[in-house]
Amino acid sequence: MDVAEILKSLTGAFPEAISEKTAESEIRARAYVDREKVKKVCQYLKGSLQFDHLCSVCGVDYIKRNEFEVVYHIASYNHPVVLTLKVRLPRENPEIESIVSVYWNANWYERETYELFGILFKNHPNLKPLVLPEDMLGEWPLRKDYEGFPNKTARNLV
Amino acid sequence: MEEKLEPDEMIVHLGPQHPMQPGPFRLNLRLKGETVVDADIELGFIHKGIEKILENKTYLQGITIVDRICYLVALVNEECFVGCTEKLLGIEPPERSQYIRVILDELTRIQSHLLGMGEFGEFIGFVSMFMYTIREREEVLSLIDMITGARITHSYLKFGGVRDDLPEGFKEKAIPVLNNLKKSVDDFEEMFHTDRIYRERTVGVGVLTADVAKNLGVSGPPLRATGVPFDIRKNEPYLVYKDLDFKVCTETAGDCFARVQVRLDEIRESIYILEQCFDQIPSGPLFPEGSLYGRRTPVMRVPAGEVFYRVEDPRGEMGMYMISDGSDKPYRVKIRGPYYPTLQALPPLIIGTTVADVAAISGSMDGCTSEADR
Repeated sequence: MDVAEILKSLTGAFPEAISEKTAESEIRARAYVDREKVKKVCQYLKGSLQFDHLCSVCGVDYIKRNEFEVVYHIASYNHPVVLTLKVRLPRENPEIESIVSVYWNANWYERETYELFGILFKNHPNLKPLVLPEDMLGEWPLRKDYEGFPNKTARNLV
Repeated sequence: MEEKLEPDEMIVHLGPQHPMQPGPFRLNLRLKGETVVDADIELGFIHKGIEKILENKTYLQGITIVDRICYLVALVNEECFVGCTEKLLGIEPPERSQYIRVILDELTRIQSHLLGMGEFGEFIGFVSMFMYTIREREEVLSLIDMITGARITHSYLKFGGVRDDLPEGFKEKAIPVLNNLKKSVDDFEEMFHTDRIYRERTVGVGVLTADVAKNLGVSGPPLRATGVPFDIRKNEPYLVYKDLDFKVCTETAGDCFARVQVRLDEIRESIYILEQCFDQIPSGPLFPEGSLYGRRTPVMRVPAGEVFYRVEDPRGEMGMYMISDGSDKPYRVKIRGPYYPTLQALPPLIIGTTVADVAAISGSMDGCTSEADR
């Protein structure tokens, strides 16, 4: 499978949800997806396009655009293409559907993204802090407006 | 894990400081007799916040920070970080630098596997194994020391090349070490195959099937021990790996014995790669000609963009996702370490086994908690 084929198949299946798709190179592709459709798209990727290996889930804080992005890197054990799937979330209401039921190993990545950025993953089986102590919940250290431990950022979200 | 216990159950906490695994993490086991019925991992004891630190350092300073993710594989981490930046800058190191990087990556793989095997031997009570492998590892570390001037954290890779050339007479010093190592690896293999206690502790213990391993997102030797030939050096060649001849080592059993066997075979393949590198390495400059980049790169702005680059770490797939906003510091670096999914896969693997096998299974994964915590 090559990048063009994958992107064509993806837009064919989800014409409304996929936007700004680009082929960066022969083995890298990138696309934005609507936040409601991310789980369906992941199911399609795993079931029909051989994307059976989730590399990582991470958050990015674009503070100037007042939004977060959740970035999924999904690869395959069979072909070398890595798909970068991105979702835009508003900073006031960072909520997205969990994909743990599709990719088992998304569990820890989503917990980590939650405690470092404050992005809520709905229907996650066990959304609690993983690498930080529990009294740091609500600090969101990887946000760009984080000022250091005693100072709080966005305390109102917890 | 549920707090309420049946009358014949108990909870055993392994860790945070336990010789079962280097680095602090806690494994909570719920036991019924000697059988593990539930398991739960707590980590974060040494969370270093490296992703946040990298956002506040220039790219050149970042190289010294990524060394500390897992100091057993510092040079591979550097390769991943520097490779990301080079992709954003649009430069490629000249062939001589690429060969030197491959030499260092493979030496790193050899010493990491030697330590992993030795520690595994120690966990299951085969303490002399550790003495044998650590002796060989010191020789390999001395070779790395000759090139980079350091044994653990190197800061040797630079954007567009490497800091220094190979020292005079390096090949002549390396060949006898590698030849000795070949003999030692054969000895280790014979020990593993003939030692009855070793076999009884490892064969059929902690079996991971190919489908389960893929579903758990595992990579590296634990995955290859289940028969899946997934290796970034072959699937997505970087540096000069496409010009080198080597095979992906696989086993089919998927148990602790197979995982150690894969590491043994990989040491042999790495030696073979090194021998080819010594024969093929061309002479030439270390940095791209006429470029701004060199041994001391001044304050450097990286064009805006983003890249995801992955390399084959001794423990599996190491990837970094780097975003640049055009300034002299990375906007965001996500580090996808190979041990993170493997550690996550530990509870499903040890549920149903006996408590004595927990150390064997955990040790055969060759973990680096430092890297999982970052």
